[in-house]
Amino acid sequence: MPGVIPTDPGERDLLAGEYVLGTLDSRMAAEVAAALPVDAGLRASVEAWEARLAPLTTLAEPEAPPPDLWERIDAALSPRPAPRTAAARPAWSGFWRGWAIGASALAAGLAAMILLRPDEPARLMTVLMTQQDQPAWVVEAENSGALRLASLNPRPVEAGRVMQLWALPPGATAPTSLGLLPTEGRLTVSPSSIRPTAGMLIEISLEPPGGSPTGRPTGPILFIGRLTAAGAS
Amino acid sequence: MRAEASLADLLASVSSGDREALRLVYQRQSTRLFGIANAILRDREAAADAVQDGFLRIGQRAGQFDPARGMAEAWLAAVIRHAALDLARRRGRELPTDDPTLGDMPVAPEALERVAAQFEGRRLRDCLGALDEKNRKGILLAFVHGLSHAQVAARLDLPLGTVKAWIRRGLLQLRECLA
Repeated sequence: MPGVIPTDPGERDLLAGEYVLGTLDSRMAAEVAAALPVDAGLRASVEAWEARLAPLTTLAEPEAPPPDLWERIDAALSPRPAPRTAAARPAWSGFWRGWAIGASALAAGLAAMILLRPDEPARLMTVLMTQQDQPAWVVEAENSGALRLASLNPRPVEAGRVMQLWALPPGATAPTSLGLLPTEGRLTVSPSSIRPTAGMLIEISLEPPGGSPTGRPTGPILFIGRLTAAGAS
Repeated sequence: MRAEASLADLLASVSSGDREALRLVYQRQSTRLFGIANAILRDREAAADAVQDGFLRIGQRAGQFDPARGMAEAWLAAVIRHAALDLARRRGRELPTDDPTLGDMPVAPEALERVAAQFEGRRLRDCLGALDEKNRKGILLAFVHGLSHAQVAARLDLPLGTVKAWIRRGLLQLRECLA
């Protein structure tokens, strides 16, 4: 989308300031993020604003992250098969502890039941969870790069709205649409422009008929999960 | 010794693919960085996702950090903030502005003194103090809590149409004052 970034130096610097402040909407923020690697002037403006406002970060109260967060990061950095105990452990008591902790074990367990055949190699998969940590869809990446989806607990969608599937590769600033979805069932989606990778976020958003008019999610994220390597049991 | 390496040195190692260096960065900075993400998202699960996404970006982009152009702490905070802001936008920034966990801390009078507690923050404190109150509060709420223009307007009970202009004017004044 050429021409979105202004040419006037004053406007460009203010845009950089608003980008650093965080008040730009999704579309403009993505435009700025996309321009940074190729626009050295804009990059210098953004760096100057980051430096000016950096002392404000002390206003956020430090808080200890969840104890398993480094393990999640480590696993997302280099996909390894999940421990074999993940699928076999008696996970049902802690089943609803939230997708952050439970999703990989859940994915391994559910996938073993639903999708995987024994003795297959580790695969990338996830369970998309609702905001209330209820499982909604199982997503599994095939070696071809296609994604197989199966709904778990079909729910009605608001009248006149549709569900749209998105993928956000690690480090990307904007998700890629993978198309519209039925409200339930099984299907295979073959993304043309991206390949599933460990750490990739998969999201389903609620959109107007025909899908998002902007190319980015416009409605609430209904279900979300992160692809991780699940050990075959 | 590794344990005494500076953050800048650790980031240089991270850029050559050193996972242990990234783990040390995490060990030293995760409490501060998680706090920054959680102030924006006000949801520990989401903040953990943002920090995870941020550390993947740090792993990929550590080579872009240039110690000659800034502090490693500020660079790390910026990466995490943008990861958290991106997630807040993807969630539609549906966070209610009457959320009880959304404190008044960033706009409380003592907040400016906290900013000035670091040497680099003193001039910023003085320049923020010189702004009109509504401009200053809008900037602080947007930066610390990731509020959109609409949320700043609702939070400060100001008309939406003017908030964007006020914040821009505040940024311009800050830039001039800090020059």
